[in-house]
Amino acid sequence: MDNILELNHLSVSFHTAQGEVEAVRNVSLTLKKGEVLALVGESGCGKSVLCKSVMKLLPPNAFVKNGSIVAAGEDITQFSEERMRCLRGTRFSMVFQDPMLSLNPTIPIGKQIMEMICLHRKVGRQTARQQALQLLYLVGLEEPEQRFSLQPHYFSGGMRQRCVLAIALAAQPQMLFADEPTTALDVTMQAQIIDLLRDIQKKLQLSIVFISHDLGVVARIANRVAIMYAGKIVEIGTAEDIFYDPRHPYTWGLLRALPSFVPRGGRLHNIPGMPPSLLHPPQGDAFAVRNAYAMKIDYEKMPPFYKISDTHSAATWLLDARAPYIRRPELLHGESRESIG
Amino acid sequence: MLRYIGKKIGIFVIFMGLLSMFVFILARLAPGDPLLSFYGEGVERMSTEEHLAARQRLGLDETLPVQYIRWVDNAVHGDFGISYKYKQPASVILMALLGNTLLLGTVAYVSVFVLAVLLAVFCTLYEDTWVDRIICKMGTIVYYLPPFWLGLLLILLFSVNLHWLPSGGAYDTGRSNDLLNRLQHMILPLMVMVTSHLWYYTYMIRNKLLDEVRRDYVLLAKAKGMSGYSIVWHHCLRNVAPSITSIMAISITHILSGTYVVEAVFAYPGIGALSIESAKYHDYNLLMLVVLITGALVILSSLLAQTINECLDPRMRSEGDSIWQKMKTL
Repeated sequence: MDNILELNHLSVSFHTAQGEVEAVRNVSLTLKKGEVLALVGESGCGKSVLCKSVMKLLPPNAFVKNGSIVAAGEDITQFSEERMRCLRGTRFSMVFQDPMLSLNPTIPIGKQIMEMICLHRKVGRQTARQQALQLLYLVGLEEPEQRFSLQPHYFSGGMRQRCVLAIALAAQPQMLFADEPTTALDVTMQAQIIDLLRDIQKKLQLSIVFISHDLGVVARIANRVAIMYAGKIVEIGTAEDIFYDPRHPYTWGLLRALPSFVPRGGRLHNIPGMPPSLLHPPQGDAFAVRNAYAMKIDYEKMPPFYKISDTHSAATWLLDARAPYIRRPELLHGESRESIG
Repeated sequence: MLRYIGKKIGIFVIFMGLLSMFVFILARLAPGDPLLSFYGEGVERMSTEEHLAARQRLGLDETLPVQYIRWVDNAVHGDFGISYKYKQPASVILMALLGNTLLLGTVAYVSVFVLAVLLAVFCTLYEDTWVDRIICKMGTIVYYLPPFWLGLLLILLFSVNLHWLPSGGAYDTGRSNDLLNRLQHMILPLMVMVTSHLWYYTYMIRNKLLDEVRRDYVLLAKAKGMSGYSIVWHHCLRNVAPSITSIMAISITHILSGTYVVEAVFAYPGIGALSIESAKYHDYNLLMLVVLITGALVILSSLLAQTINECLDPRMRSEGDSIWQKMKTL
């Protein structure tokens, strides 16, 4: 049993007053034990929806339109709320974006962690307290005993995110969804939390799905990277594949938009235009209108996945045998090459 | 802490002073003769001199400020004067009936809020289902049912037709210490008060809870594997508790004024009936006492609510203090 999570042709939509919004479209991916998979893409490309649909944390107007979710060998696509409740926290758990909002402001953090422990394991209050303290040590909160019964508003953003992480780990989940866990933090805190997450991942052999729109952050932590655009995965591969041999024009655009990839004094690259509305997604490649290399077929037909290596594949017509050869734009400049990986 | 309590007591004393002054003047501005309630029909046969002498005996010949200062002086020493109508100390009259009102009011108050919280949690969990919608609309429907009419309807049904419950009073004669008998008499007034107040508070608490349920921490609690019920009960309810206590504090007046109407319909001997009567008969001393007791209850309850809020959510206190300090430095 190697794959801890398998998504097979998963599509998730929302019923809205305007019509059906196709937030996730035909996504297939696997997560292996002890692996960190990064989901990268612009805001609104369906990264969070994908994770929340696995945990069934989406609002009631969302529904799985197609495909299946297999977690630890068990097909949970049709699981009822009651059965999901037992899996949340133990099989998978989640770290949210803004630690200022995701902790209950009136309940001491110690109690919020103990709550999780007591919910999933039959232990006494004293044991639960001990375990919660150990978790706070694990996530690197200083002086946890003194801070155990403080409400979240006594803590800084980074400390709160450590507490959220402690809650997420409290019932020893097999996999963790980290939904932009560093976006709401300042840069120095970001690096600390990423390093912490990586250390804990190694220590506990945890599988992590790490959502981010920042490839720089992803480079620090991910084993594999999936690039998402308009609800679809457009390129997936190991971190080396994506950073050193990207094939999809969208991935090129994202990499060129990284400030650290631009030489000092150079112009920061951007991808022109906006992602398409998912209310009526375009028929062909959703990225075509923003793609400088788009061909006629891009507007007419969705590109299939082309396998580049065993680990690497991308969905773009540029990889088709009939497509003209395109020289990839220069992405990596001298010194920044070493800072990757 | 001592300063904190001192401040609260200060606020209480100032408000009571203002209230007493206001009521004192207002009562005497109302047209009518207070002697009528003291001497009854006899007043009309009095000569002008007798009339003046009578006024003098009751101390009504002095100017308003003098009368007020004398009243305050006596009141501080525990003497609230006599009731013109009952010719007994006002405090004795009041004490006899205050218990009845407090009993009815407290039971109504507690049942309204216990039911409101339970219904609100229910509505939150079943948001937008037909049960939720009906409960939310009940407030609007009941708003158009006057409580006195509802009371009469209930009397007609349960007392006149079914003979299940007594139609009025607080207890059967000579059974004032029989709790069961008292409860029996309270059922109909309670039904009126609960049905006329419950829905409104349910709706307010439900909306507060729905705001709360959309917060991120609820998603985290869900991701922990908690059930919807236990999230609302253990997390959200606690966070809306300050709002609920504020609503509860304000509603003390609301429900208290409700008892006044209900007391009149069910001939329930309480201070509601007493206050209407004393205003009607220009029974100044009794009126003052009834109003002051009611006022004290209102002010105390709002101070209490404030203190509870500050204990539940320490952020309120620190914010309040900083504004207070800012004002001082200006």
